[in-house]
Amino acid sequence: MTDATTRMADAASAAETPPAASDNRKGVRRRGVIKGIGGLAGAAVAFGAPVPAHASNSWGTADVSDDKLVNMYTLMLRSRWWEAAMKDAFLAGKDGLYGACHLYIGEEATAVGTISALNADDYIASTHRGHGHLIAKGGDLKKMAAEMFFTTEGYNKGFGGSMHLTDVSRGILGMNGIVGPSHLLAAGAAYGIKVRGTKQVAMSFGGDGSVNNGWFYSALRNASLYKLPLVAVIENNGYQIDMPTEKTIALAELATIAKGLEIPGETVDGNDVLAVNAVAQRAVARARDGLGPTLIEAKTYRWFDHQGMAGAKIGEFGAFGLPYRTDREVRFWMSRDPIARMRNFLFGEKLLTEESDAKLVAGIKQEVAESLDYARTCPHPAGELGLTNVYAEGSVSPSQFIS
Amino acid sequence: MPVKPGTYAVLEGIQSEMLRDPTLTLLYEYMHPIAVSPMGKVIDLHQQFGPVRVPDVGPIDEEWFVGACTGMAMTGVRAIAHCPTMTSLRAFELVFNQVGKLRYMTGGQANMPMVLWQDAAGRVAGSAAQHADAGQEALYAAIPGTQVVIPSDPYDLKGLMIAAVRSPDPVIFFHYGEINSVRIDVPDEAYMVPIGQAAMRQQGTDITLVGFAPATLEISKALPGLKSAGISAEFIDPRTLKPLPIDPIIASVRKTGRLLAVDHGHETLCSVTEIIARVAMAVPGVKLARLAFPDAPAPGALEMISWMTPDAPKIVAAAKKMMAA
Repeated sequence: MTDATTRMADAASAAETPPAASDNRKGVRRRGVIKGIGGLAGAAVAFGAPVPAHASNSWGTADVSDDKLVNMYTLMLRSRWWEAAMKDAFLAGKDGLYGACHLYIGEEATAVGTISALNADDYIASTHRGHGHLIAKGGDLKKMAAEMFFTTEGYNKGFGGSMHLTDVSRGILGMNGIVGPSHLLAAGAAYGIKVRGTKQVAMSFGGDGSVNNGWFYSALRNASLYKLPLVAVIENNGYQIDMPTEKTIALAELATIAKGLEIPGETVDGNDVLAVNAVAQRAVARARDGLGPTLIEAKTYRWFDHQGMAGAKIGEFGAFGLPYRTDREVRFWMSRDPIARMRNFLFGEKLLTEESDAKLVAGIKQEVAESLDYARTCPHPAGELGLTNVYAEGSVSPSQFIS
Repeated sequence: MPVKPGTYAVLEGIQSEMLRDPTLTLLYEYMHPIAVSPMGKVIDLHQQFGPVRVPDVGPIDEEWFVGACTGMAMTGVRAIAHCPTMTSLRAFELVFNQVGKLRYMTGGQANMPMVLWQDAAGRVAGSAAQHADAGQEALYAAIPGTQVVIPSDPYDLKGLMIAAVRSPDPVIFFHYGEINSVRIDVPDEAYMVPIGQAAMRQQGTDITLVGFAPATLEISKALPGLKSAGISAEFIDPRTLKPLPIDPIIASVRKTGRLLAVDHGHETLCSVTEIIARVAMAVPGVKLARLAFPDAPAPGALEMISWMTPDAPKIVAAAKKMMAA
């Protein structure tokens, strides 16, 4: 018997016992899950046993309303086309865009699947590749575009740019240019939730590289110790810049790190928005019920380079000819496009037709185009503004001049 | 002597030292370093010295390679830890409580022949606060037991790296990317630029300019403007922050009577502040001025960061003001 089947069997026998600490949870989700798969997932929620999730699993779909299914698809499309437009603007070179741009294209199911399991007042801590997280949490495309253009009307008023786009009012603790601290920031937010006694959840995002340093372990170890309402999401896209993940860590499944902390760890197909959402719903429910943190590894792939536009073309998807990966590998992952998969599913469910899909996509493209047009009209900050926002009050001295 | 980019010159220096010392080890982040000379000569240390001394890749884990190099150095294996720009202070605690103290705490028993090769970003537009930093070498210089060098061109990169590797004491080696493209001849053979030795970049009689990389590049750009303004500027590049080669700077200021110190680090406690303090004590009554990046993180927008960075026009304007005062 494999390790995985052992755990499945344990979970199945555990399902015979009534759930202990989950009485105050909303019942809808659990009923749906139990109906779907004989109580396995429900038991995992109640007892915290690690349950392997599989590429094709659709656990939890019964919990997701028709509207929500279409909404998840819409959010993925919005992220996809906003980034595609930004990529094209960088490549066209007419807007004088500069600075970093870490495209999330190809990974949309991970952000949308996880963040769709959260409430509006839950927290997320994002990464350098976080446009998709912000959009999934309801980010305003105009303010995002205005920040990409480093204007005063952008989310960060020109201070941050692509790598720091954020909307703190939506519970986003920032995108972050440093790999690893997102897990600590979210664990801290989770501790704050305990202090305040609310029922919120904090979710951290990090790439596969973020599990390789001490900040990650500190966050998870302490979240486990204090049973913090934390969901740590590892977006494993296979590369750290140009470095293959398997050359940086001896584990094939990063979720197995959770075993040593005695918290649930699940590896899921990060290109399957419903599988991701099902895993995330379980993790969020556990966190909200005071049962502690969960580690989720979503295996996915970025279609473009680590950052910038190498190998990319205007109007086309995928970056090809990069030295550290094969073009076939890119095409393979593009054939597993999370948006196409969801589209097919929605067609089968009769929640989408050729006509309604075309209308939806056209509307999103229009919204995206308007966001860039808006950014083009926004003013750029005066140099002196750089002395502000250091402290709550006042500004620092212009020491680059002598008085 | 051929002109070489800094990326090549520094690996050429490490290559010669790895040939000289059969256990010298290099740990770093991301893919292993490869550089190509303008003549097409390739240096691939991983291929040449194998996966133990130069691993194929390095995980995003600065504590590993700085900590591991510390342990190696203590046990007789000279080592270089190469950290990327955005985590220029991740090694700080290890340097503060381990690297800088172990020789002293053990009554001189522990050797610490290691190099922290710290890449540094400099004030780049569009990168924002975490990827456009400068001046963190000043923080390392505040730690007892360290030596801190800041090369400002490919010649110094190679020569200071060789000196750093051969030093029995730890060296914090700040490498600003902007200096890689400074055009200068770099000898093929190994040579040392001694730690603690300043470079006289230009002689003059009216005003002394000092600064470390990357401010050195802006000072160099300002020199023609100063000349056309009729100002005879002397420019000294200390290259080492600790131990600080203060004597040639004091001698220069005695001659010119004016010191303009330029720093891309933050105003409070930036590196040149130490120079100003020592000059003020040694040569009372001279005119002293400092241009530094404000006490603010680096903003993303070009308009803000370029206004805040002490660049060549600001240096020329400041020198004129000092001459007029």
